[in-house]
Amino acid sequence: MISSTLAIARKDLRLAFAGGQGPVQAVLLGLLLVFIFSLSAAPGERFSPQQAMAIFWLCSSFAVVLIFSLLFRFEEENDTATALLLSPLPVQGLWLGKTLAGLVLLLLCQVFFFPAALVFLGLDPGGNPGGLALMVLGVDLGLCVLGGLIGAMGHGQGAKDALLTIIVFPLQVPLLLGGIRIGVGLMQGVPLAALGDWFGLVLAFDAVFSGAALFLFPHVFRGE
Amino acid sequence: MMGSGSLLDLRSVSHFFGSRLIFKGVSCVLDPASIMLVAGPNGAGKSTLLKIMAGLLAPRAGSVRRGVPDRSMAFMGHQTFVYPALSALGNLEFWNSVYGRGLDDAGLLGLLDRVGLKGFALEAAGTFSRGMAQRLSLARVLLVEPELLFLDEPSTGLDTASQALLHNELEAARARGAGVVWISHDLERDLGRADTVLQLSGRAMAYFGPAGEFSREAL
Repeated sequence: MISSTLAIARKDLRLAFAGGQGPVQAVLLGLLLVFIFSLSAAPGERFSPQQAMAIFWLCSSFAVVLIFSLLFRFEEENDTATALLLSPLPVQGLWLGKTLAGLVLLLLCQVFFFPAALVFLGLDPGGNPGGLALMVLGVDLGLCVLGGLIGAMGHGQGAKDALLTIIVFPLQVPLLLGGIRIGVGLMQGVPLAALGDWFGLVLAFDAVFSGAALFLFPHVFRGE
Repeated sequence: MMGSGSLLDLRSVSHFFGSRLIFKGVSCVLDPASIMLVAGPNGAGKSTLLKIMAGLLAPRAGSVRRGVPDRSMAFMGHQTFVYPALSALGNLEFWNSVYGRGLDDAGLLGLLDRVGLKGFALEAAGTFSRGMAQRLSLARVLLVEPELLFLDEPSTGLDTASQALLHNELEAARARGAGVVWISHDLERDLGRADTVLQLSGRAMAYFGPAGEFSREAL
């Protein structure tokens, strides 16, 4: 299953970058959001750490919707979804491959979002890059686990983006809250151990939705 | 009655969409090294039946038994199952990984050669004509070397040379022991290649038996 999962992820990344597109739409939307929010501050006024971190995660949240909409669109054009369902690949492997590809694309978007937030929102990276990386990975994993599941739910439906938006955003709230609180704590120099509860929330979210996706994805993707 | 070595066994299969009956009481058997032609007018439920046979759709009643694992089945239909942004070779590389066939580039190029696409191996499949894309789909089927092959009007949009290629590969598949279920609208052309015929008509199975005894007038 691992090689098939990697084949899905590799194929999705190749398709995402074919024609030089990549996650351009998601990156541009995020940068636009950062820039527009930056205009809301008066000259000389700084955003609070909470505000800056909330905007960063808002950009990531919107990017996830666009990324997974793109990843599942690949399986619609010539009904390759049917060919995948007929293949020996376990359907959960398909979800895992899409989640992995989505995670890579989201991290790539954040490579652009983070410096933009530093420059335009005055985001302070703090002195704990390891903790920051741990937070980003934990929250991103949750966002992509959920994106992979909900993306399949909209698979083949005309109102896919609307469905993604309606379902994804409310479900993301605890995860984004965790990301904001951990990020703010790290920016203010709070030690990792003191942020254990929020890390626990993020990891619990990842675990619960991974379990739910492994169980639900086959049914959702088959449209049962 | 079917033997235990059959590739496919349907017993009293019925299907509905909502409360609308599509067909009922379909029973048939597909033996190795045989071709079953599925015939019937538009809307008779032929494609639905094929999806049920392939395991893409669960029947509302009856049972379906397939005698081969998933990795030994392939499906070729109206849709080409091709990723347009990948090259012809890139498409085959992907399916090669998914099916765990372990072919190297030379092997994959050999398959493309077999379907007349070797010269287009590095071109994006999205630039292909319908016929070329269907040839690429055939290369995917050849890669799988299926024991059980489902065809849903695969000749649609193909030129004479491509149709001849498809028919040759079907004969080759039968010769190596594969079973083929084939929906065709051109009975005049395809009946002679079939071993058995399953006819759907009037929301039920009207005929299942040897192709030689099938009456075309019944359609």
